[in-house]
Amino acid sequence: MAVPLEIARLLEHPAIWRGTSVARTEVLSSGFAALDERLPGGGWPRSGLIEILTPRFGVGELTLFLPLLGALTSAPTARSAVWVAPPLEPFAPALAAHGVALERILVVRVPDALRSGALWAFEQSLTSGACDFVMAWAKGPRAKEIRRLQLAAEQGRALGVLFRPLQAARESSHALLRMAIEPSAFGVRVNLLKSKGGVRGTVELDLTAGGS
Amino acid sequence: MASRPLRKSRQAQVLRLPTSLRSVDSRQAPADAPELWVGAHIQSLGSGASLEKLATRAQRFTPRVSLIPPDGLLLEVKGSLHLFNGIDGLLRSFHSDCRMLGIESTTALAPTPLAAQVAARVGEPFVVTNKAQLTGRLTAMPLVTLRWPDDVVQRLARMGVRTIGQALRLPRAGFARRFGPEHLAELDRMTGRNADLRHHFQPRERFRRRRELTYEMESNETILAALAPMLADLGRFLEARQVGITELECRLRHRHAPPSVCVLRLAAPQANVARLTELLGERLNALVLPEPVRSCELRSGLPVLRELSSNPLWQPGEYGGTAAGSESSQLVERLRARLGHEAVYSLQVLQAHRPERAWSMQEPMLANPRGLASPAVNGAARMRGTETPALRGAGTDLPWGSFRRPLWLLPTPQQLEELDGVPRRRGTLRFFGDVERIETGWWDGGEIGRDYYTVFDIYGVQLWIFRERADPHRWFLHGVFG
Repeated sequence: MAVPLEIARLLEHPAIWRGTSVARTEVLSSGFAALDERLPGGGWPRSGLIEILTPRFGVGELTLFLPLLGALTSAPTARSAVWVAPPLEPFAPALAAHGVALERILVVRVPDALRSGALWAFEQSLTSGACDFVMAWAKGPRAKEIRRLQLAAEQGRALGVLFRPLQAARESSHALLRMAIEPSAFGVRVNLLKSKGGVRGTVELDLTAGGS
Repeated sequence: MASRPLRKSRQAQVLRLPTSLRSVDSRQAPADAPELWVGAHIQSLGSGASLEKLATRAQRFTPRVSLIPPDGLLLEVKGSLHLFNGIDGLLRSFHSDCRMLGIESTTALAPTPLAAQVAARVGEPFVVTNKAQLTGRLTAMPLVTLRWPDDVVQRLARMGVRTIGQALRLPRAGFARRFGPEHLAELDRMTGRNADLRHHFQPRERFRRRRELTYEMESNETILAALAPMLADLGRFLEARQVGITELECRLRHRHAPPSVCVLRLAAPQANVARLTELLGERLNALVLPEPVRSCELRSGLPVLRELSSNPLWQPGEYGGTAAGSESSQLVERLRARLGHEAVYSLQVLQAHRPERAWSMQEPMLANPRGLASPAVNGAARMRGTETPALRGAGTDLPWGSFRRPLWLLPTPQQLEELDGVPRRRGTLRFFGDVERIETGWWDGGEIGRDYYTVFDIYGVQLWIFRERADPHRWFLHGVFG
């Protein structure tokens, strides 16, 4: 897009914020070039909440975050990467093979009897300041709770990822990013439902190439 | 304590040694020794008795009690003899204390600790208060009682030296050259030629407070408020000793029902009352009380040395600040307080071919960033030993080589339904990629023989399934690639 020189100079004025610009926030590369182009600022936000909606468990939503998980856990000043109430056992050999530093991983199991225990653990981890990255598989959080989680993530400078079923797309959400993930021929089709300061749309990702 | 003032020797004055070292002036040996030691040799420890328990009890005779593990105890009693009716009275009291703890011991009295210990090991009545008589009385003792290394004792025995007296008669320079100066120094300490400094035993106390409530309480907030003064006491107790605790037990007593107990286990030694109160509050919230509470009690575990640290200039997360270990240990403690101890864990890879044994849970590393590892972390790394090499993108080092592994593993394999010998799961499965045979574990009873396949189900989910090698060749789902 060619912008006349005068307008370009005018746009550099610090008081002018543009809708599509989020250059002020720190971002982390997703490891997939095609996705980075679409994400606001060119990557996952450093802190905040992302909602991932999937039609069913295991369509490739975790593979999407493996490059990020590997980069975050092996950084010299890495903090913990917490998994709150994962539905199955995270398989350590596969994670290690993708360059994830296992000693930074913290798995939190929530007893079934404890109602909303997963959301509590999610919020505690986000707000503690001890985590870089928190993933949670929680049942039915309400819009108000999602707003709380978003604020907790900003306070603790952590990136939170909440995995939810696709049906939740109808509800409103305060998350920074909201994306639906569907399996496709070679990897996944990412549909950006909500992207604060970015553009919406669909991206096809080849997980076999970018993932490892 | 000692009735006569100590004099510094000329050497000590030159070296500016403080008098509190209780150096014994060998040239001006007094007729009545400035110290008098009771040595106790424990022959049998009853059940539940320990050297520490006896030492704690023996502190009523003197504050100067030293332990000689595994079976020795030394008491300096010069100053307190008159309080226990002299030597006989003191030894009688000591023996009755031993009997109460179920300990059988022999005792001896000598002006030097080592002589008292050696004589107690011999087991014959031995009371020497005068240093001048000490060497003479020691001569007949067998050399074995000094517990020198076997080869030294044997070499001396081949020379015909079997008693302490014979050893003392050997030329000093030659003895030091042939058997080591440390053994000569030991003989000197025994005879009182050199000072013998001992560490004093200090018991590790636990904190324990009990409070009767003025009225019966039911709500968690009021109970926590009632516990607050006791927790404040605990804070002062820990502060004064510069220690922390890793375990705190809170007992709530009821009128009829057995007491409700909640135990707080901490990942790192903690002395901060606010943190302890917060964690205890979490624990109490999870506790279901059968009846109102009538009294409450706090008991601490053994205090442990706490790592004292100063606050950094930068906050964690700020530029120049590092991720503090305390925050992650606080998080782990808070999660564990509510969800249970086993609910929070870390992962590690094991060098094993069987998928279910290729990983294990691990205690979370509560540490500073890499390179600033605390001693606890080093310990954990040693404990893990050779099982976990640093695996970072090093797929070729692993037993399964280049075969793909799923990100998710089912806790136990789930059997799949079959149609004409072909597995199905929510519809037909599409096979792709290589088959991997895992056949191992015959040596430890956990034998498996499986052919692993990667399949897509009709929803596009990648699954990791296997077929048993043995009859009846059932199919199982074992992982999800995710």
